[in-house]
Amino acid sequence: MSVSVQRLLAAAILGLAALATLAPYLSAEAKRPDPQFTARYCMACHSHAARTAGVSLEGLDTAEVSLQPAVWEKVLRKVETGEMPPPDMPAPEPGERAAFSRTLEGALDAAAAANPDPGRPPAHRLNRAEYANAVRDLLDLELDVASMLPVDDSGYGFDNIADVLSLTPALLDRYMFAARRVSRLAVGAPLAKPQKDIFVRNRETGFREQGHARASFGDLPLGAGRGVALRYRFPRTGEYLIALALDQGDSREAYKHEETRVSVDGGLRTLAFAFPRESSRPERAGPAASSAVPRPHPPLDVRLDGRRLHLVELPEAARPYSIRRISIEGPFADRGPGDTPSRRRIFSCRPSSPSDAGACAERILSKLARRAYRRPVTGADLGPLLAVYESGRSAGGFDRGIERALRALLVSPGFLFRTEDDPEGARPGSPYQVSDIELASRLSFFLWSSLPDEELLAAAQRGDLRKPGRLERQVRRMLADSRASALVENFAGQWLELRKVSKVKPDEILFPEFDADLRYAMRRETELVFEDILRNNRSVLELLDSDRTFLNERLARHYGIDSVHGSQFREVRLSDPRRGGLLGQGSVLAVTSYPNRTSVVIRGKWVLENLFGMPPPPPPPDIPELEEAAARDAKLTLRELMTLHSRSPTCASCHVRMDPIGFALENFDAIGRWRDTEGEAAIDASGELPGGMEFDGPAGLKRVLSTQLRKRFVQTVAEKLLTYALGRGLEYYDRATVRMIARQAEQSGYGLADMIVTVTEAMPFQMRRLPQS
Amino acid sequence: MILTGKSLSRRAALRGMGLSVSLPFLDAMVPAMAAPRVRASEPALRMGFVYVPNGVMDLKGEWTPQGEGTDFEFSEIGQGLAPYRRHLTFLSGLAQLNGRPGADGAGDHARAGATFLTGARPVKTEGLGIRAGVSADQIAARALEEHTQFGSLETGIEEPSVAGGCDSGYSCAYTNTISWRSPTTPNPVEDNPRRLFERLFGDGDSTDAAERLAKLREQRTILDFVRRDLARLKSELGAEDRRKLDEYAESIRDLERRIAKAEDQSGKDLPVVERPGGVPDSFTAHAKLMIDLQVLAFQADLTRVTTFMMGREGTWRSYPGIGVPDAHHAVTHHSHDKAKIAKVILINKHHVEMFAYMLEKMRGTADGDGTLLDHSMLVYGSSISDGNQHLHHDLPIVLAGGGGGRLRGGRHLRYPRETPMNNLLLSLLDLGGVPTESLGDSTGRLEGLTRA
Repeated sequence: MSVSVQRLLAAAILGLAALATLAPYLSAEAKRPDPQFTARYCMACHSHAARTAGVSLEGLDTAEVSLQPAVWEKVLRKVETGEMPPPDMPAPEPGERAAFSRTLEGALDAAAAANPDPGRPPAHRLNRAEYANAVRDLLDLELDVASMLPVDDSGYGFDNIADVLSLTPALLDRYMFAARRVSRLAVGAPLAKPQKDIFVRNRETGFREQGHARASFGDLPLGAGRGVALRYRFPRTGEYLIALALDQGDSREAYKHEETRVSVDGGLRTLAFAFPRESSRPERAGPAASSAVPRPHPPLDVRLDGRRLHLVELPEAARPYSIRRISIEGPFADRGPGDTPSRRRIFSCRPSSPSDAGACAERILSKLARRAYRRPVTGADLGPLLAVYESGRSAGGFDRGIERALRALLVSPGFLFRTEDDPEGARPGSPYQVSDIELASRLSFFLWSSLPDEELLAAAQRGDLRKPGRLERQVRRMLADSRASALVENFAGQWLELRKVSKVKPDEILFPEFDADLRYAMRRETELVFEDILRNNRSVLELLDSDRTFLNERLARHYGIDSVHGSQFREVRLSDPRRGGLLGQGSVLAVTSYPNRTSVVIRGKWVLENLFGMPPPPPPPDIPELEEAAARDAKLTLRELMTLHSRSPTCASCHVRMDPIGFALENFDAIGRWRDTEGEAAIDASGELPGGMEFDGPAGLKRVLSTQLRKRFVQTVAEKLLTYALGRGLEYYDRATVRMIARQAEQSGYGLADMIVTVTEAMPFQMRRLPQS
Repeated sequence: MILTGKSLSRRAALRGMGLSVSLPFLDAMVPAMAAPRVRASEPALRMGFVYVPNGVMDLKGEWTPQGEGTDFEFSEIGQGLAPYRRHLTFLSGLAQLNGRPGADGAGDHARAGATFLTGARPVKTEGLGIRAGVSADQIAARALEEHTQFGSLETGIEEPSVAGGCDSGYSCAYTNTISWRSPTTPNPVEDNPRRLFERLFGDGDSTDAAERLAKLREQRTILDFVRRDLARLKSELGAEDRRKLDEYAESIRDLERRIAKAEDQSGKDLPVVERPGGVPDSFTAHAKLMIDLQVLAFQADLTRVTTFMMGREGTWRSYPGIGVPDAHHAVTHHSHDKAKIAKVILINKHHVEMFAYMLEKMRGTADGDGTLLDHSMLVYGSSISDGNQHLHHDLPIVLAGGGGGRLRGGRHLRYPRETPMNNLLLSLLDLGGVPTESLGDSTGRLEGLTRA
């Protein structure tokens, strides 16, 4: 080994020590796990001869868990959760089980600390959400990214997994297309001819996912009962034709058309089409102050950025009007790009004379490139960008040059891929600390799904991120920023499957009330609950059970709560212990149901998998619902026929956990409404989980889950956070980190923000492994 | 969609290889005006692969035709294809055995999607080390892409899963697509008609040929920049990252090739078509629109290879429009419940109707001396037969199209049980002029497809 390599190695080890990230890995217990435990309870099946499920524990020594950490991690998991030994085999007493788990955990933690492996995710392509956020932060431009890029493939439950994010010609095509459109929009390039955009009410989501940026109900004028807000990017200053078609909620050909010609400044504007309130109850929790006589056909109020354009009187009709289609066409009489936020962001200088242009372009592009590449830029970065600029400038002037350089920047691999450089000369396979600049990107993509801002990048450049307390300060600052809502959208959206709420299709005949507003409200409730826990560092246990939630009138009525009025969401204290926590929320209850009925099994599986990290293996083919069907003919109740699961040991080993959870939630129908009966039969929501955990109904279930399975839940939150933060699947060598995060959480009151801080301080977030050879 | 279409460049059609062609025939077929650039040649052969998820009901012969050879009767589900009898062959007995669990356990839907056109055993992973095999459509695409702007199109009518796992520890990529560009690079499926349109015809600020060309040239300067940038970045990276970025480099080459091709063909008239809006609400409207666009791409010779997924493998999609408000996957696990079986059949028939629409559309589109249907080979089917038991043999497969006059339709052929479906894929590649030695688990060629 050469001297320089030795020095580098020493530096790497010092780096480790200086980080002090490994101390929290050591749990208190440092005793050898009972060497006879596996012989007593495991070896009947897991011997060399039997090798059940391909696992043999024969010849493995509990004194040397560091020799087979992968196998021992599996043993720990199965023993700790009680999944092993199976129901029909001799099992240890609870005390013996706990002691073995504790000591094995200690031994594995020590082994992990002695030989840290941070893993090695490959280059990350930005996924769709990250691309949109990066463009927003780079150019002050919000995108309707769904019209530009396809949904990404996912793995391990998330779509930011480096191994799965591949690039194909079809996708590069989309990136080229997006880059052209984005750069033109950002500089406000002239259009060859007026464009026409048409937005049609979607059956599932109304207009909520339309327009060029997300609109909120707050964009509707005060006092609006119903209506549509649409954020639209007017490409240039000029005149536009805004046309609407109305129907009576039935998608039949429009009953009424309206057209308005209006002069608009270029940029993102809010168009609001509001039907004034049909009742005048105040928007607050509490009893209704008065009940005014509803107006049968209030006129339609059309506004641009709050300013009234038009009040459309509507003819008499049997049912209320709805907006069916909105089209916007223009610009006519183009009067230039307008003074948009994007232009202000980009054009940090204007050339005062042709001789200035080059210097100004260089200034603009170095600023943009620094941000886009997420690192200090060099002459080698700028040269090629300036060449592209020049080709555009000579063809069409300064703005055109900048536009073209921007377009190149947006498809540059340095922008589209997150890469990390390996240090030279270090031992293959050894861990190293990623650079501060790389750490900044890890942070911003974890917390914001976007680029680092200047403050973070500058801190990294100064070498500030790893000084005591600085990382935590940055993380807390970033969590307080509005961009941290990316964690709600992308992390919670996938972990809790909230993104699926806009895809579920409840049977229209059985559930006619399930409309776009209710769908939106369900998703919004869980998002707001999660965001509240995140921003206020509340305990993650509130996800399991809580006496608070966020509701608007629509959802409150759905839940049978009649004290909430108006379309705005607000915090509501729940007096009924059945609704609080994820398991009483419409979003979760709907995504775990079939279109036309609930499913005990799917709900049980969802809870075990997403909340407790204990995914039951899928059923063997041909078995599923066999008994159910047979029993249906015999007119057994659902409960009676599901008990058939316990007759077969194969079925029982998993259903003994899934079914009781699902049954406890049977009082919630397929769209999350409370019910006491199904058809004729009263619902029996009592049950028992292995280990003597008895309960009745959702409130009882939640109590059991949040006490008896608390540790598993907190570890699962840690697993999900770490997977998402690293953008890779977790391996056996990550288990010790997961336990460390969960232990820290236990000590600090389970605050979600605290857990996130711990994740960013953890060894695999700070480090990367060199390739093996 | 409105087609005010001008006719496409006229293509002279010949059977057999260039050698056996007699010159007078050639002269007769090539319009004098079109010389000298247009050279008469064999009509381009198009290949399409249409996938239906969750298997097809065949407990009591709902799918498999009665009788064999030319003397067969359409089954209940196949009935919708009766008008195209002359143009199709039902193939029974084929299998994708790598779809079976083997040592990998659960995950039949993931393995179904991954094996359909690869015949390879997919690696059971959520991400790390993701791998299936190159798919037959991509082998064809690489060989045929020199003729067209797009080597292939991968289309579907269902978005990738937006949250949650897909199948038992397999990455969603395995259920999202049937097309694999390389064993490690799944091709994403385009489900949005507007995005597909824009990919094919540009974003439509102008249809002016000169401006389109100027736009393409602009793209070229950008790609030059990206290529240099990539080389610079790659020199700084480790080997695995470099491999990841190789995908990027390959995509750039593909785009450059396409631009060159587009310049080459810039004199060619493209059909004038109205740009579709977003994704239609109804399954039928969506499916038909995606089919229209594929047929258009064939017609304009923008590509010769397509895949089309009627749904993600394992899909939960419900079909309230045809009286099936239930999740598709849930009813396929029917456990012999009559009501569920009836619903599966309704879905299967509905999918067949969509395929019939595609055949109708292609039969109605003139191409050279015949129709697009004459000059194509279309495979319709699933990599699961019985969705209840997740079986991967006796697959429901039908081959349609005239194959440029070489496929002999109007038959039901039965092959020995568990004949690799990849033998069919190899035979089609042979016919398409892309002879390939072996593919996945192939053991040879499928006999009896062509005219003697």
